[in-house]
Amino acid sequence: MSVPSGQGVTGRLQWLLRHFRREWQLYVLLAPTIIWLLLFLYKPMYGLQVAFKDYSIFRGVAGSPWIGFEHFHTLFGSEQFLRALKNTVIISFYSLLIGFPVPILLALMFNEVLNQTFRRTTQTIVYLPHFISSVIIAGIVITAFSPSAGVINTFLGWFGVDPIYFLTKPEWFRPIFVGTGIWQEAGFQSIVYLAAIAGVSPTLYESAVVDGASRWQMMWKVTIPCILPTIIIMLIIRIGNNLEVSFEMIILLYQPATYETGDVVNTFIYRQGIQAGQYDFAAAAGLFNAVIAFVLVVTANSISRRYSRTSLW
Amino acid sequence: MSGVRLEELVKRYGDVQVVHGVDLEVAEKEFVVLVGPSGCGKSTTLRMIAGLEEISDGTLSIGERKVNDVAPKDRDVAMVFQNYALYPHLDVAENIAFGLRIRRVAKDEIKRSVTEVAGILGLTDYLERKPADLSGGQRQRVAMGRAIVRHPAVFLFDEPLSNLDAQLRTQMRAEIKRLHARLGVTSVYVTHDQVEAMTLADRIVIMCDGRIEQVGTPMELFMNPANLFVAGFIGSPPMNQIKANIVAGANGPEAVLGDPDADGAAHIPLPAAEGLHAATGQSIVLGIRPEDVLLQGSGEPGGVPFDLDLVEPLGSEALIHGRVGGEPFVIKADTYGDISHLNEIRRFHVDASRVKVFDAASGAALYQPEGALDKARGRA
Repeated sequence: MSVPSGQGVTGRLQWLLRHFRREWQLYVLLAPTIIWLLLFLYKPMYGLQVAFKDYSIFRGVAGSPWIGFEHFHTLFGSEQFLRALKNTVIISFYSLLIGFPVPILLALMFNEVLNQTFRRTTQTIVYLPHFISSVIIAGIVITAFSPSAGVINTFLGWFGVDPIYFLTKPEWFRPIFVGTGIWQEAGFQSIVYLAAIAGVSPTLYESAVVDGASRWQMMWKVTIPCILPTIIIMLIIRIGNNLEVSFEMIILLYQPATYETGDVVNTFIYRQGIQAGQYDFAAAAGLFNAVIAFVLVVTANSISRRYSRTSLW
Repeated sequence: MSGVRLEELVKRYGDVQVVHGVDLEVAEKEFVVLVGPSGCGKSTTLRMIAGLEEISDGTLSIGERKVNDVAPKDRDVAMVFQNYALYPHLDVAENIAFGLRIRRVAKDEIKRSVTEVAGILGLTDYLERKPADLSGGQRQRVAMGRAIVRHPAVFLFDEPLSNLDAQLRTQMRAEIKRLHARLGVTSVYVTHDQVEAMTLADRIVIMCDGRIEQVGTPMELFMNPANLFVAGFIGSPPMNQIKANIVAGANGPEAVLGDPDADGAAHIPLPAAEGLHAATGQSIVLGIRPEDVLLQGSGEPGGVPFDLDLVEPLGSEALIHGRVGGEPFVIKADTYGDISHLNEIRRFHVDASRVKVFDAASGAALYQPEGALDKARGRA
């Protein structure tokens, strides 16, 4: 049903009313999501203005005086923030570079497994970490890398390597964090790609078989190109969320000794906002993060639309 | 180029057998159409030829080579699928070239072959388009191009026109026929559309429940169906089938509809006794093609009584629906632009030479020209 053009505002309103009367059930189904979005994502945006104010909880958001971009000047003059920003970018880049292809590879491998029992068992094993609380995952990681009883150091000990205090060494924090994220989420994320693979028409494979393609060629020339739109959509979403480095896991794994490589914008905001009570300063940092994420997702979407005809909007 | 030979070909899925010992020989350059209702095993048979289904039993040969255990790519066949099976991410040229690239053919040769095939199929202007930007007919041509470009020994078509609208289907049917005439490649074509089968085939193979019911040229099947299934499947509208009994008439055997002793029972003369494998008193089914009926005015004596139900005008001809002896009966009549007289039909005559006779119990034809039964079993 297309919106009538050239009938003026009254005509459009009448059309909207008729449309609503006819399709009201669909709007009822949509309502909970809209309400959730308004309450938890749009209403809090009102508070963003504190990033431009000298906020005081006693004066409230509206009563606090405007100070323009002062918090942003302070932010970019802060070594801690610049370090957190650098760490965020580096960790995000590694997570994207290594973490993004892993679920795709897993899905492709699952797709090639012919033994259903083996396939279901391995799928369950790799999905499992997603359903375990981050606190427990962090506990497992801390235990595994423990210098006294951890499996990693025990294993290294067999080869005569002295115990390494992995979680106190800045150079090990990023690999451990990125690896933990992949272990926890890659299996679950592979479900999206498995669903995409299931949607590829079997006749494309049959046609390729008759044409003489090997399984390897079918994966490269049929499966991957056919799920490419899904990969691109997931990539755009991932880029949008890229700066939202897993805050919980960082908080659980890092310590002052690894701030140098582990402190990210979100943990910086947490320390400034919740622990130090500088809500306005923390809001400025958060807003900056959000603007960068917005720019990234819009850019990725535009590039994707131009070159692959696939885009989120 | 090669022929294809199927000997006692069987397909089982677990304990369920879906193809029951199919025997068929497709000659070199021949266009054979497998036709039958859904689930009759025609696509499974085609997929066994392609190598997409394992053969449970029997022998499949392409040319002189037994190919039961030969991989699809080494059978030298190309297949056109119902849903085209075009790669959405590749343009027309890349889709056509796919099989050649897989086989690592030289780039210059690929380009030359694609250009040649595109020219044959009228796709030259669309080579850079993606499948999503093509019409159904164009997509079907690309699918055929992908098959042609490899110069295979055998073309396999799995209901390639089913997704097209009626007008486009007619157009593409003609294109396939022209293409076969031009390339002369052995072709096995699967369809459930008997019109497609009649128009395209050198020989038609009619299948039902995993068995071959009859093999023959389109006209052989139309004129001499081996059983009631074939009689009902070939022809549009299908052959009328009415129950009757054989009685001895003054000029030879006759079929009588209803009680033979009742007054006014309709008598239909049967073809000459020679070749009629039936005895007086035997229960039979008469097969009368809708177009073999001779119309008769309401006042004229004799003939078969007909309870007229409705007249469907189709332009140059009309379908007259009604009942004979309580059973549905359709007559096809020329209209010459006027259908008013068709509403007056109450009786009709039948040309005895065109009546088909089937055994009521087995459904097998009781009147066949010499050799027709052998042909029906796939033996040339």
